[in-house]
Amino acid sequence: MKKSLMEILCCPVCKGDLKLTIKKEEGDEIVDGSLYCAKCNETYPIEDGIPNLLPPGLR
Amino acid sequence: MTVRIYRDKEFELLDDVYDPSEDSYLLVDAALAEVRPGDRVLEIGTGSGIVSLFLMDRAASVVATDISPLACANARRNGVEVVRADLYHGLYGPFDLVIFNPPYLPTVAGDRLGSWLDHAFDGGPTGRKVIARFLEGIGTILPPCGRVLTVFSSLTGIDEVKEMYRSHGFTVETVSTEKVPFETLIVLRCVRRP
Repeated sequence: MKKSLMEILCCPVCKGDLKLTIKKEEGDEIVDGSLYCAKCNETYPIEDGIPNLLPPGLR
Repeated sequence: MTVRIYRDKEFELLDDVYDPSEDSYLLVDAALAEVRPGDRVLEIGTGSGIVSLFLMDRAASVVATDISPLACANARRNGVEVVRADLYHGLYGPFDLVIFNPPYLPTVAGDRLGSWLDHAFDGGPTGRKVIARFLEGIGTILPPCGRVLTVFSSLTGIDEVKEMYRSHGFTVETVSTEKVPFETLIVLRCVRRP
């Protein structure tokens, strides 16, 4: 995913902001990392460039 | 992995991802006629990514979602910016144009394959289960005057689906129809009333 995608992503449960942690990036592409919702205390993974924003029960 | 071609584009298709069919191509054609250069586009249930692929260089931005990890991998492979999500949950928006090829076939338990492909066609007993969930919260990502372009089948119930959109505050217009064996496919353009 591109970094600019952060502007339109939110927690799927509470719609709150997500905190981005980058583990691996190539140019402006985030390849591996995670998105964290502090309010829900939930982490959503970014793997192979795809953020997974499915709530825990649907993964 | 298979390669498919539509119009001027070649795209890849992975196993257990919906093989683009008449409904996909009808939606591509309608989307090409609908999209405006300034549109922020969201495609829901992108599958191989084919519709988004055609819109990428014609809109301000294009983002796609799918619930299937295989579809997400496939769409990304085709160059589409994709988020694994349940419909639009996890996207903040706002968007100007939402494109949606829902699972719209009425099913009974035995129809399901038990694979990710079920999500591409399984519309529940009426065929309208996922369309109903889509409309439930659509106002959170689609502001007034925002447009939805969606395809489904006569098996889903054309009048019933139109009425669902109307009762959620949309004006509804039929953009195209196509007769295929056993059903008629229809593309609706639905605009959220101000």
